[in-house]
Amino acid sequence: MREEVAEAALDLIQVEYEILPAFFDPMQAMKPDAFSIHPGGNIAGGKPIVLERGSVEEGFAQAERTFEGTYTTQVHCAAGMEPRVALAQWDGDFLTVWKSSRGIHMLDRPALARGLGIPAQQVRVICPAMGGGFGSKDETRMGTLTALLARKCGKPVRMEYTRQEEFVAGRTRHPSITHLKVGIGRNGEITAIHARTIMSKGAYMSSGSAVIRRCGQGALYLYQTPNAKFEGTLVYTNVPPAGSYRALGAPQGQFALEVHMDKIAEALGLNPLEFRRRHHVKPEGQPGRRLTPPGELVSDQPVEGGIPFSSNRLSECVRLGSRAMGWQRRWRPPNSSPGPKKRGLGMALGLYRGGLAQKAGAEVEARLDGSVEIRVGTIDVGEGAFTTLLQIGAEALEIEPARVTILGGDTATTPEAPVTSGSSTTFSMGTAVQQAAATLKERILDRVCAQLGADRENVKWNKGAIQMNRPTKKTVAWKQALALLSPEERRVRLAIQPGSTEFVINSFAAHFAEVEVDTETGKVAVVKYVAAHDSGRIVNPAAAQNQVEGGVMQMLGYALTEELLVDPKTGIPLNGNFLEHKVPVIVDLPPLKTIFVNAPDPAGPFGAKALGEPPSIPVAPAISNAIYNAIGIRFQDLPITPGKILDQLPLKGRG
Amino acid sequence: MHPFRYAEPESVAEACRFLKRQGTSAMPIAGGTDLLSEIKDGVAKPESVLNLKRLPSLAHIREQDGALRIGGMTTLSQLQVYPVLRRNFRIIEEALSTLATPQIRAVGTVAGNLCQRPRCLYYRHPLFLCAKKGGTTCFALDGDSRYHAILQNDLCPMVHPSDLAPAFIALEAQVLLAGPEEKRLLPLEEFFLLPGQNLSRETVLKPGEILVEVRVPKPKAGTRGTYLKFRERGAGDFALVSAACSGRVLRGTVAELRLVLGGVAPIPFRARQAEEMLMGQRPKKEFFAAAAQAVLAAATPLSGNRYKIEAARTLMVRAMQAVLK
Repeated sequence: MREEVAEAALDLIQVEYEILPAFFDPMQAMKPDAFSIHPGGNIAGGKPIVLERGSVEEGFAQAERTFEGTYTTQVHCAAGMEPRVALAQWDGDFLTVWKSSRGIHMLDRPALARGLGIPAQQVRVICPAMGGGFGSKDETRMGTLTALLARKCGKPVRMEYTRQEEFVAGRTRHPSITHLKVGIGRNGEITAIHARTIMSKGAYMSSGSAVIRRCGQGALYLYQTPNAKFEGTLVYTNVPPAGSYRALGAPQGQFALEVHMDKIAEALGLNPLEFRRRHHVKPEGQPGRRLTPPGELVSDQPVEGGIPFSSNRLSECVRLGSRAMGWQRRWRPPNSSPGPKKRGLGMALGLYRGGLAQKAGAEVEARLDGSVEIRVGTIDVGEGAFTTLLQIGAEALEIEPARVTILGGDTATTPEAPVTSGSSTTFSMGTAVQQAAATLKERILDRVCAQLGADRENVKWNKGAIQMNRPTKKTVAWKQALALLSPEERRVRLAIQPGSTEFVINSFAAHFAEVEVDTETGKVAVVKYVAAHDSGRIVNPAAAQNQVEGGVMQMLGYALTEELLVDPKTGIPLNGNFLEHKVPVIVDLPPLKTIFVNAPDPAGPFGAKALGEPPSIPVAPAISNAIYNAIGIRFQDLPITPGKILDQLPLKGRG
Repeated sequence: MHPFRYAEPESVAEACRFLKRQGTSAMPIAGGTDLLSEIKDGVAKPESVLNLKRLPSLAHIREQDGALRIGGMTTLSQLQVYPVLRRNFRIIEEALSTLATPQIRAVGTVAGNLCQRPRCLYYRHPLFLCAKKGGTTCFALDGDSRYHAILQNDLCPMVHPSDLAPAFIALEAQVLLAGPEEKRLLPLEEFFLLPGQNLSRETVLKPGEILVEVRVPKPKAGTRGTYLKFRERGAGDFALVSAACSGRVLRGTVAELRLVLGGVAPIPFRARQAEEMLMGQRPKKEFFAAAAQAVLAAATPLSGNRYKIEAARTLMVRAMQAVLK
């Protein structure tokens, strides 16, 4: 059947709807007497999540001044070029699903087995390459739907969203309302931080609980304070469903936090840079007592204090980034430039997890022809994970990367691996690949030494060739060495539990933006941008730079132009297209300098830490703070469009 | 996507006869950048489309005594690189440089740009049967109106998105329309219809008529022109507000001025009040501001687009400052 015939047939289906009340505003939906979208009320889980270190009540009692503010963010779509797509094919009782996915082993395969009532061994999921992940596309429904349809009709079935469906029925970044209260003590110290966030999640649960948890981490951990509390409420509404999108809730939460801290700095008469330098969390972590029992894995999103970071070079990020921006020399008090086009500088910090994940498996096999294949069950979502993992494998084996290939994205040929999420792939899969490759190297050395009757201390590994010095000088070439091992010995498959029992493993960033605001049109141009990151040792500098630039460009849209507009009366999304959901274009990208502190982390593979999501976190607050510095008006509601700026600018002096 | 038949005419006459015969079930197509998106969005459902781009006689640029004659099927990028543009028709060149993206300019045509349908989030949406599409309600008037019209917006606050139209009108361009029986020539300014004149169509084109040529007279010596476009992103974005201005100062006073706004009204908006106030005056900034104010006194903003008044004021003043000196 032709596609358009099927579509025309769909149009002919007559549906009678019972019209129920609908909510497009979470504040309405969460009222106690509001109509329930699902049984059990509109607050997901029945109540907010509440996390607290120390006691904010006591903290505020000690405060000399308190500062409160409310911050809101919009519905934002990842807008990947490739829409969500799946293809299912049955071969008897065995099912193969090709799908855009971030988690073939841990998400799609179990969901398909559960949904179809078959053992997981009968399900194969393949994601050869992602056409735009951006932290979205972790849902499993499309695989199950195509598998059911394929079983029903006895033929392979493919399902693919149209562009508009991708915007409407994909998963958006949760819109949010955050109320912040911060207490400042007599000596300028932060006595308490209390954040309360309400997120509208649409009518369906996706990854919302992880999203709102991550939203709170900035308030809990970015600034040093003994007392911090986060309350997060997820509310069912009737807007398009929200779910995973790069950094989950962190951009929402840290937008609120970093604009709020900028306001406090000014109220205290401190330069925003100086305030942050004094108060951001230091390598020793938060004050307080460790609650995680000794020997147990420490969370990479902790609430408790008393646990040091494996490494924390936030101070270096601030120092290097501010220097590149010329902050000390060029910063002026707000609204200093004469206009009508006014310039301003702004900054924001960010912290993010990336040191924990599900059990991570990897396989490394050396073949008799001298080639090495690494097999991983993760997906390269476009960030270059496979290149990085290949480099790590080659480095651990101490052989030329050109000899190594990598295979991934197929449950049939790779060991179980975590979801590509939480910026954890380099840390978790990197460690697994590193250990598998190192194990293989040890095996080869052991076998060659046994064959030659040499002691381990008398042989040297030279790019795979093994050189013996005593009793005689002799070299065993790489291929010769491999020939000494059985096929089983040439293959190492292992799994590790990523994480640390001693340290909090986090990545850090400090971003600096310079903007020019045309006070007669409200147009904001970002004219210079500096992104300084602590992601441990950088494995692949070009890919890492690309990751930062992509994150900045993506969130430039979040800050200034992108929003899925929802009709206030009907809840219908109005602009599900690339023309009007205004993703920035290349001419909008400012000159951008990326800086890596590039200091090895003691816990990460070859010193590496997370980088995937962190670049997206400080962008919107840095730009909002720069706009404030330019024109002296705070914008606490994203995106900061020319319309909002013109509505706020005082009328005098214009026209 | 709604299926349609595809036809290629051999001549303009055949195209006109075909379109007249088929009535509203047939639509002419050129670059297709607007029509195809309307079909994909379920707004247009033609049974057949007629490809006018196959008519080579319509893709010309000629100069006659300094005046430009631009065939309707000339692509925007062909026009953009036409050498004389920079010298005598600066407004057109500036408008083209802000228009859409290089990819769209490579296929989009001059006639297509003038005949493109208006922008409105509700009109363009398959789920809203608005008054313009034969329904009974305008959803924009009390809906999301951030991109809508601030002038002449009582019946339908859609905005006309063309960058070329304001530029051409500021240059007093004429359009040549060919129909099954006859041709007619009229000022481009009279080509467009307000919703009050016809809610379902935006132009005077009759069934079977197509826009075959744009004629732009040569500006008098000493004429300056500029096109300013205010938009949210740096490329591939329609104007929130745009201003095309052409004018001439003679012996210290304004001898000629045409000021046309885009993005603020259902059709290109000629700011005649400003023009009349400034004729014979000295070109001074406070006069420009007063003239812009007079134009915008008629504005009737909706709940979401008040900012367009300020933006339009700024663009008018800046355009006049650039031109009248």
